[in-house]
Amino acid sequence: MPATKTTPPAKTGAARSKSVRVSSLLSEDVISIVSPPPEKGALIESMVKLLCGKKGLGDPAPFLAKVFEREKKISTTLDTGLSLPHNPRTERAPGAPAGLDPPSLLTNIFAALTVIPDGMTDPMEKDIPISVMFLFLSPDRGEFFPMHLQFLRSVASLFQPSLIGALAKAPTPAAVLELIRKAEK
Amino acid sequence: MVGKPSRRVAEVVVLSTAMLTFISFWRAAAIVLCDMASTAWYIGGIAEQAIGKGAPWFILGVMAFSACILALETESAAIFVRGGVYKVVREAMGRNLAKVSVSALMFDFTLTGAISSVAAGQYLAGLLNHAFPHLHIGWRLNPDAFSVFFAVAAVLYFWRQNIIGIEESSDKSLKIMRLVAVMGLVVFGWSLVTIWFKGFSLPPFSVSFDPHSLGWLAGTDWPRKIGAVGLLVAFGHAFLGLSGVETLVQVYREMEAPKHGNLKKACLVIFLTCFLLTAGMCFLAVGIIPDAERAKYLDNLIAGLAMHQVGPHWARLGLQAFVVGVGSLILCGAVNTAIVGSNGVLNRMAEDGVMPEWFRYLHPRYGTTHRMINMVALLQIGAVIASRGNLYLLGEAYAFGLIWSLVFNAASITALRFRRLGPREWRLPFNVRIGGTELPVGLGFILAVLLAVACVNLLTKRTATVAGIAFTVGFYALFWAAERFNRGKARGEHREKVNLRNEETVEQVLKHLDKPNRVLVAVRDPHGLHHLAKALETLDEETTELVVLYCRIHYGMSFGGDVESLGPEEEHLFTRVIEVAERSGKTVVPLMVVSNDPFYAIAQSAQAVGAGEVVLGTSGRLSLENQLERLAMTWGAMQKADQGAVTVRVVQKGGAEMVADL
Repeated sequence: MPATKTTPPAKTGAARSKSVRVSSLLSEDVISIVSPPPEKGALIESMVKLLCGKKGLGDPAPFLAKVFEREKKISTTLDTGLSLPHNPRTERAPGAPAGLDPPSLLTNIFAALTVIPDGMTDPMEKDIPISVMFLFLSPDRGEFFPMHLQFLRSVASLFQPSLIGALAKAPTPAAVLELIRKAEK
Repeated sequence: MVGKPSRRVAEVVVLSTAMLTFISFWRAAAIVLCDMASTAWYIGGIAEQAIGKGAPWFILGVMAFSACILALETESAAIFVRGGVYKVVREAMGRNLAKVSVSALMFDFTLTGAISSVAAGQYLAGLLNHAFPHLHIGWRLNPDAFSVFFAVAAVLYFWRQNIIGIEESSDKSLKIMRLVAVMGLVVFGWSLVTIWFKGFSLPPFSVSFDPHSLGWLAGTDWPRKIGAVGLLVAFGHAFLGLSGVETLVQVYREMEAPKHGNLKKACLVIFLTCFLLTAGMCFLAVGIIPDAERAKYLDNLIAGLAMHQVGPHWARLGLQAFVVGVGSLILCGAVNTAIVGSNGVLNRMAEDGVMPEWFRYLHPRYGTTHRMINMVALLQIGAVIASRGNLYLLGEAYAFGLIWSLVFNAASITALRFRRLGPREWRLPFNVRIGGTELPVGLGFILAVLLAVACVNLLTKRTATVAGIAFTVGFYALFWAAERFNRGKARGEHREKVNLRNEETVEQVLKHLDKPNRVLVAVRDPHGLHHLAKALETLDEETTELVVLYCRIHYGMSFGGDVESLGPEEEHLFTRVIEVAERSGKTVVPLMVVSNDPFYAIAQSAQAVGAGEVVLGTSGRLSLENQLERLAMTWGAMQKADQGAVTVRVVQKGGAEMVADL
C-alpha cells in the first residue's frame, strides 16, 4: 500500500530535492563494455555482483531479488536504448503509517554502467535494442521515493540518443566516464 | 548498435463538441426566455378570448406559479445533470409512462413551432396593414392567410438550418433578449406616460366564459357554482404562459461552474422577466386599449398597445415596428427551439431503442438526423395549415403536452424523493418530517395544482384534449412498436457526438489553448474517471486549461494514418468525460493520440502542451509506484533542455492521492 497524502500538490518543482550527478556515482571500476552481448538477466546479475563487491554492499542476493522483482512489473527500457534496472520501493503493510517502513538496506544511491555496442535484446521490449544499461540501487524507504523518481527522470534525460551513440563507440571505461561528465556539464 | 526512438506519438486528434462550451447564467436564461418569454406576444389575446377581460389576473397567477415550476426543474437538475422529462419519468415510473410523457411533450413542441410562427405572421400582417396607407400602397393583407404563408416560410427556413446543422448560438439568444429588455423598458416607460395622460383601469377580477372555452363543461353550472372549478378553468386557459420551461433542464448541462448556483440565478432572471414582461404587457394592454379597440388586436395585442400610446402617429407606428421586429425575432427563435428540442428528445429516444432505426440515418452530406427533422418540420407545417392562421385555435390546442409532461415530471420527482434517498444539492422547500419519513409538502402542492389544472383542461380544452390524445397515442404507438422491433438493439446509454480534428503534431494542439497554465489528465477507463473529477474540483478555470488525454494503443502495421472515427469504447469514454466536465461546469480540451506506449504518449503530450501538472488515475495492472517510475523515465527520455518541472498526481478512487515533483 503506497503512502498517500490528500493535501494539494505543489504547483511547481520548487520542492524538488537536490539533484544527484550521475557521473559522481560512477567510477571506472563499475563501468564495463561488453561484446558480444549477454542475456539481459545475466548482465543484471553480473552488474549487481560487481556493484556489491566494489562498493562493499555485502550479499548481492537480496538486491538481485528486488531488481528482478521490479523487472517483472513494467519495462525499465527506454526507446533511446537505455535500460534502467533498479530496486523497487519496499511496500509497506496495508494501512501502516509512513514511519513504519521496513528498514532500508541502503542510505545512498549506488550505480554501475555497461555499454553494449552491438545492442542487446530486452525480453519485454523486443523491438528496442539496449545499448546502455545503467543499474542502480537506492534506499527503498518511502521518504526517499521522491528523490528516486527525480533520479530516474534525470538519468533518462541525460542518456539521449546522441550520448548513447557516442558511448557505444567509446573504447574504454575511462572514455565512457569522460563522455558522461561532458554531457552533464 | 543504437536504435532510433520508436515510442513516440504517431497521430494526434483534438475532439470537439458544442457540449464542452459552458455558458453563463445570463446566456442560459436567455436561451430559455427566447422560448418562454415569446408567449408574451400571444397569450394575452388568446386568454382574453377564452376567459374575458379578467385574463391578466390569471396570467399573473400562472407567471407567479412559474416560480414553483422553475423550483421543480431546479430539483430535477439537482438529480440529473442530463435530465429532461424522459430521463426523470423513466427513472421514477418506468419506460411506458416515460414514453407517454414524451409523446405528449412532442405535441407541444409541434404546436410551439406553429403558434410562434403564426403569431409572428399576425404581428407582421398587422404592421404592414398599418404601414401600407402611409406608403401609399392600396393593399390590405388577410392576416390569417399571410400568417400561414409566413409561418410555413419560417418553419422551412429553420428546417433547412437544422438539416445543415447550423446551431443557434447562445450569443444570438442573448442579443434577442437584450432587444426584448430594451423593448420592454420602452413600452413600460411609454405606457407610464400614457397612463399619466389617459388614466388606467385595472381589469376586473372576474371571468366570463364563452361556451367554447368551457368545452364539455359548457352544459353544466360547475364553473359558476363551484368557484374553485371556475378558477381552475381560467387558470388552465392561461397555462400556455409556461411554455418553454422544459428548455431549462436541457440547457442546464451547458451551464458553467458553479453549476447549481448559476441555475438558481438563471431561474431568478427567467422568473422576473416572464413575470414582468408577460403579465405586465397583458395588464397594460387591457388597461390602456379601449375594449372595443382591443378586440381588433387580440392576435397582436402588444402591437395594439403600441398604437394606443400617447404621441404622434408616426412615433406610435415606429414603436409598433419595433415591437413587431423584436417579436418576430423571439417568436422565430421559438420555432427553432421547438425543432431543436424535438429533434433532441427524439434522438434520446432513438439511443434508447425507442425510435425506428430508419429515423437514425444521418444525412449523407451534413451528418444530421434529417429524417427526424423532416418529420418535426412536417408536423409543424401540418399544424400551421390546419389552423389556417387562427391563433386562438392554436392557443386552445396548446398546453396539453406541457401540462401533462409537467404532471409526470412532478410525480416522478416526488417519487424519487422516496426512492433516491441520497443527498442532493437542492430540494424544493416545505418538507415536513413525521417520524422517520419526510413528507414533501411543497412538491405535493405543485403536483396537486398541476394535476387539477390538467384534469380540468381535459374537460374544457376540447381541441387540446382530442388533438393531444390522438397525437400522444400516435407517437406512443410509434415508440412502442419501435421498441418491440428494436429489442436487443438498443445501445442503452447516450453517446456524445464529437467532431474529430486530426493535427500534424502534438504541438499543434497549443493553438487550442489560450490560458497560461495547463493540467493534463490521462484517461483510459470510462468507469474510472474519479481523478478527472478531482482535477476539475480544484481547477482554476480563469488561469488553467485542462487537457484530457486518451491514448489509443496501436502496434505494427496499423500504427499511423488519420483517425477517422472513434471505436465504441472510445465513444463511451469520451461521453463519460464530457458528462464529468458537464457536472462540474468547467471546460476541458479532449485529446486523443495514437501511440504504442501510453507513458510516452502522456509525457510527450504533457510536454508539448506545457503542462505543469499531470494527473493519473489508478491502474488495475500497475502499482502507483510503478506508474510514477515509468512516467519519470519517459518524461526524462522526452525532456528538452527548456522543459519546466512537472507535478504528477496519482489519484485513488477514495480521493487520496500520491504527489511527486519530477
